Order: sequence, then structure tokens, then C-alpha cells
Amino acid sequence: MEKNDRNTRLIIRGTDAPFMNALRRTVLAGVPCMAIDEVVIIENSSVLRDEIIAHRLGLIPLKTDLDGYNLPEECPCKSEFGCNLCRVSLALDAEAKEGTRTVYSGELISENPDIVPVSDKIPIVKLVKEQKLKLEAYARLGKGKKHAKWQPVSMCTYKYFPQIKIDDKRCDACGKCVEICPRKVLVKDGNGIEVRDLMACTLCQDCVDVCPQNPPAIDVSWDENAFIFNLESTGALPPKRTMTEAIKILDKQLKEFGRQIKVKKSAKS
Amino acid sequence: MIIPVRCFTCGKLIGDKWEEFARRVKTGEEPGGVLDSLGIKRYCCRRMLLSHVEVIDDLLRFYEEAEKRKQAGNRYYY
Repeated sequence: MEKNDRNTRLIIRGTDAPFMNALRRTVLAGVPCMAIDEVVIIENSSVLRDEIIAHRLGLIPLKTDLDGYNLPEECPCKSEFGCNLCRVSLALDAEAKEGTRTVYSGELISENPDIVPVSDKIPIVKLVKEQKLKLEAYARLGKGKKHAKWQPVSMCTYKYFPQIKIDDKRCDACGKCVEICPRKVLVKDGNGIEVRDLMACTLCQDCVDVCPQNPPAIDVSWDENAFIFNLESTGALPPKRTMTEAIKILDKQLKEFGRQIKVKKSAKS
Repeated sequence: MIIPVRCFTCGKLIGDKWEEFARRVKTGEEPGGVLDSLGIKRYCCRRMLLSHVEVIDDLLRFYEEAEKRKQAGNRYYY
């Protein structure tokens, strides 16, 4: 319905609320993405403490290459420190030589040119002349379950697909419902009320309550089996990849669940 | 202190938008309009920029002054 490199809005039909919620939760907590996880500070004479800088670095979203890297716990290297397949190192060496300046995320030098901050313009710290910041950071794959910095999305929601019915025979086009609607879904059209933007409806029922007719001439309901799914990526993964990955993970989890039930059943009998 | 990297509530990246926001508001633009044009829709992210005070700039002034005195050779700067 709507799509660009960060936001996606789609209509999903023929499912139910539990499935949509499972999908939503998988996107939030189950889809891995890259984030800085460990920082070695070599020199820091800035006004911010080491921990604050490390935290800020951790929150910077990194463009993620899911196919090229393994989750640290699934990596064959089994090393706590990580190997080239489960870890990317980024270096930062900044010094204010002439006057006060801001250190931006663009100054992080990554060992893999594909794993870079989403934006080059994120301020990390401000330095005064003769202050220095030198550090090495290690980025790993992780899941939103462990820390919100590994969430590939900053928003993931779904809502029922709205259905608005207007009874033309009883509606006298008083315009009260048009006025009260917080999302401006309805519009007055000659001697009737028309739906202008159905997708914006939040199902608040204000228009139904305000209608002077009894019973109301307008009816707001929703389709139980159709949803509007809304996803806003942090830029770590494209929205489409996030969705396909979430479906893959959910599928894997459900299969595993089914297998365990079967084992339990056969153990009983 | 310094602009947070992400929105506290939803996690949207806002750190990179601060400088443009501050500059445009300073030139007299309506903050709400600037936020709209930066694509910041939710009120959780909007308040991050609207209510932010860059305290680090004030703090750095002390270091800048100290540096100036050092340059001038004032032994009493400590």
C-alpha cells in the first residue's frame, strides 16, 4: 500500500489476530540485526564518560548483512571473543586539532564497508581543542529480545481493516461526524457523507456516537480477517527483508513446536 | 547533555536530525513544521527534539576558556 526504504504499510488478508501478533512479536524480538556490543576505549579525554559513549555507540543502527554473518551463539567458532564470521570491528580515532568540534558516526571506520552506520550525521560526542577519543568497537548480530538496540524496527503495528457503512436513506448530511472525526476520515459531499481516507480510521466510534439519528445512520466495524500492518525500519534491514526473515523464523519455531508435541505424544503412548 | 541517539520510547533514530532541527528553528521556522518535514510523526520522537537542551555546549565553554588561558600563559588557570 505504501512503501519506501524505511516505511512499509500493507494490507494482509485471510489471517487472524493471534497470527498477526505472533508476526509482530517476531519482528520486534526475533529478527537479528547488527549493533555495537563491545567497546574498547583506548583514550578518552572528552567530557562524556566511557560508559556513556559506549552506550551511544551501541544505539547507532548499523546496516546489516544477514547472509554474511552468524549469530555469536550459533557461530562455529564457539569463541567468546568472536571471529570474522560473527563480529565486525569498527575503529574511531578523533581529535580536535583546531577548536571545538563534533564527532559524527561517519567517522567510524568499519573493517567491512557494508556494515556502516545508517546515518553519517549522528553526533557521538563533542570535543574541545586537545581532547581526544580513540576506541575500537565490536559489532555483533543480536536479537531484540536481549536488548532494544538489536531491534530492526522502530515501529511495528497492526490494526483491523476498517469498514464504514453509511445509510444514505437516513443520513441527512448534518456533517457532525465529519467534524468530530480526529483523523478526518469522512468528507461531506453534496447531500451525503463520503469516506475519504478509510485507512486512517482508528475505529474510535466517535462518529457513531455523535450521529443524531437513532439508530445511527453510520456504522463503523472491522473485518476480523484483514489487517493493516505498519512497519518502520531503523534502516538496519530493509522492511521487506525484515518481514521475510520474521516469517522464516516464525515458521521454524512453529515446526519445532509441532515436533516437540509429537515427541510428547509418542512418549505417552 | 548531548542529543540522544534514539527516541527513548520507540527507538527511532533522532540523533542525526537534531542539528538541522536546531538550525532551522533558530532561523525562525515553526518547530512543528520542521518536525513534519524531517519525517518525525509520533509525539514521543517529537518531544525528544522539542524539549532537548544541548547542555554539553555550555559545559564545553569552561574547557574552551581554560584552553584560552593556558595559551595566554596564565599560571593561575588551575
